[in-house]
Amino acid sequence: MAYIVEPDVVRYACMCGLLKPISRLYFCRHCLHLRCGFCVCHEVDSLFCGKCLENLPSTEAKLKKNKCSNCLECPSCHQQLSSKAATVAPKNPEDPKATPKKVIYLCCLNCRWTTRDVGIPDQEVGKSGWPEHENVHTNRLNAIMNHYKKLVLKEKQQQMDKDKKQRKYTTSLAERTGVTASILRKRLGMTELKNPLLEADDLKPAVASKEIVDSIEHLLTTPIKLNDITTIDQRLKLPDWQPTAVDKLYPVHKQLSVKRSLRCRSCEHNVSKPEYSPNSIKFKIQLFAYYHIPEIRIVTVEPLRIGKQCELLIKLINPTQHQTTITILPLEHLDAIQQEDTKVIEDPPETKEPLSFQLLQSSLTSHPRQINAKVGTDVSIPTSSIILPARDDAAEYDDTGETQNFQDDPKLVVFRKSNKAVIKLLVAPMENLELGEEVIAGFTMQHVYTSTIATTTENKEPQKFDHKMKIYLTLGTLVGSQ
Amino acid sequence: MSSKQTPKISSGALVCGDNKMHGDITFGTNSIVHPSCTISAESGPIIFGDTCIIEEQAKIIHRVPFYRTDKNPVMFIGSNNVFEIDCTVEAAKIGNNNIFEPKCFVGNKVTITDGCVIGAGCVLTDEQVLPKNTIVHGSGCKQREALDQPNPQFGLMDTLMRLLPNYHHIRKPIKKP
Ligand SMILES: [Zn+2]
Ligand SMILES: [Zn+2]
Ligand SMILES: [Zn+2]
Ligand SMILES: [Zn+2]
Repeated sequence: MAYIVEPDVVRYACMCGLLKPISRLYFCRHCLHLRCGFCVCHEVDSLFCGKCLENLPSTEAKLKKNKCSNCLECPSCHQQLSSKAATVAPKNPEDPKATPKKVIYLCCLNCRWTTRDVGIPDQEVGKSGWPEHENVHTNRLNAIMNHYKKLVLKEKQQQMDKDKKQRKYTTSLAERTGVTASILRKRLGMTELKNPLLEADDLKPAVASKEIVDSIEHLLTTPIKLNDITTIDQRLKLPDWQPTAVDKLYPVHKQLSVKRSLRCRSCEHNVSKPEYSPNSIKFKIQLFAYYHIPEIRIVTVEPLRIGKQCELLIKLINPTQHQTTITILPLEHLDAIQQEDTKVIEDPPETKEPLSFQLLQSSLTSHPRQINAKVGTDVSIPTSSIILPARDDAAEYDDTGETQNFQDDPKLVVFRKSNKAVIKLLVAPMENLELGEEVIAGFTMQHVYTSTIATTTENKEPQKFDHKMKIYLTLGTLVGSQ
Repeated sequence: MSSKQTPKISSGALVCGDNKMHGDITFGTNSIVHPSCTISAESGPIIFGDTCIIEEQAKIIHRVPFYRTDKNPVMFIGSNNVFEIDCTVEAAKIGNNNIFEPKCFVGNKVTITDGCVIGAGCVLTDEQVLPKNTIVHGSGCKQREALDQPNPQFGLMDTLMRLLPNYHHIRKPIKKP
């Protein structure tokens, strides 16, 4: 399916002003807005390893530096390593009792890198875990990290003291009585408690040296063998060592993957929420625009010439379980409405909601950016609208040619089958276009969206809304003028 | 050159019948040729070494570049080479113990030495000599040098030798005088 919806030929304008194909959009059914990956809140739901599918709590993952402790990756091409069994001849072949030993080594099936390449000893069968490659600077790095933690704490303390001085009039119980915890401790004859983190440490700062450790002379005299030098990717994959030669490569632990849920920015409802288990590929909530918004596909377009009315056939598909009515409106139609909307927002609304919610709202209302598409053609706006019946999966395979009784304008609707209709629009490329330039057509599509939120018992009829969005079609290049 | 010639099959080799072969082709002992592969000796004879495996849809074409003017050039393919499914190999000189993974392409200006692995989907067209134990892999056709040559797949060959004659027509090897 990706080859149908993936090319950026038909693009929908998201609320934030970005243009995306329908497969990349979400539809928040609570505030009836299109949302793209750029304007939703991303939240980490669960962390897991993509190879062994182990689910890790976030604290444990943090301790393990977001890496799986069991799975290893090839340091050469970053694919997963698999273990291979091999037999090794006994150490002293003269001994008749010695049997060949079974060993395991790791091998990359993509680039055929093995642990033997860098001299990592083979493991005996039954033993689990490979030796960790220790960084020689671990102690120094830990000391520096501790030092910075202390600095952070110190700064916090200072800030707190500053705040205390400013808050003269608010008195706590301890201040009123003049008995603080440390005074109390002294009176009781106990030693003063000290925060171990606040103690000064004896971290020696690094000393810059004038001499270059590695002599670079050989680089100038001997020819470079590219196969022996690591690539930037390989070096960055091992940030602790950053080896320059391939014989220093060492297996890396696999980075954990994340399952994330996406939240609408303005109403905080989820637009996508996967099931927690890493084994599952299902979603609890999936409000993809593909299931709610009518899809538009370009069927054909006549060669585009300036000053000529070219026929454009587009197919409209209703993906929902409810009948909908589609109306094509000019592009400017939505601009006018949006300007009114922003005016309303600018006026201070009467405060009924809790303050926190309002603060949140005001911090999240963002003005959409300018839509980055140069419209190069006028589109004839049809006067009538098109009714599309609900999607019926069974009808897809029904070839009996059922007749639908819709009062269609024969000039507009060319073809109709179940929940699909092909309509004809006329486009006229503008005068100021140059030969070979890409022609973009735009219009506003209004469709009737039937709310799928469970309604209360009082009004059983599902609510219907008119939802409008801007559509941009890339029609191809200009071939000439009339 | 396109005259129908029956390939010369050494004793012990297993060559299936349903494949396209044109020109002067010689198979060494213990070679295995699967059905539906194409071997075309357009510019001159092709000589395979011992224990080569040629899998389905593999295309081995002897077509020298137009600027080469040597008379009746011979395409030498060493021993223990594996041509996997749907690979295209036009290199005129191939050493021993090489593996051509599925859907790779090796042009006719390339010379392959010993122990090389051309990864799946990799394309080599420029004039070059692949050094020993070179591994070409990935979408960027990155090269690296391996420690050893790939091991010959004796287990696989035994199975094929046993199974293929049960289900396919087999070309008869030439009886040695
Ligand atoms: Zn957006
Ligand atoms: Zn894992
Ligand atoms: Zn690898
Ligand atoms: Zn929302």
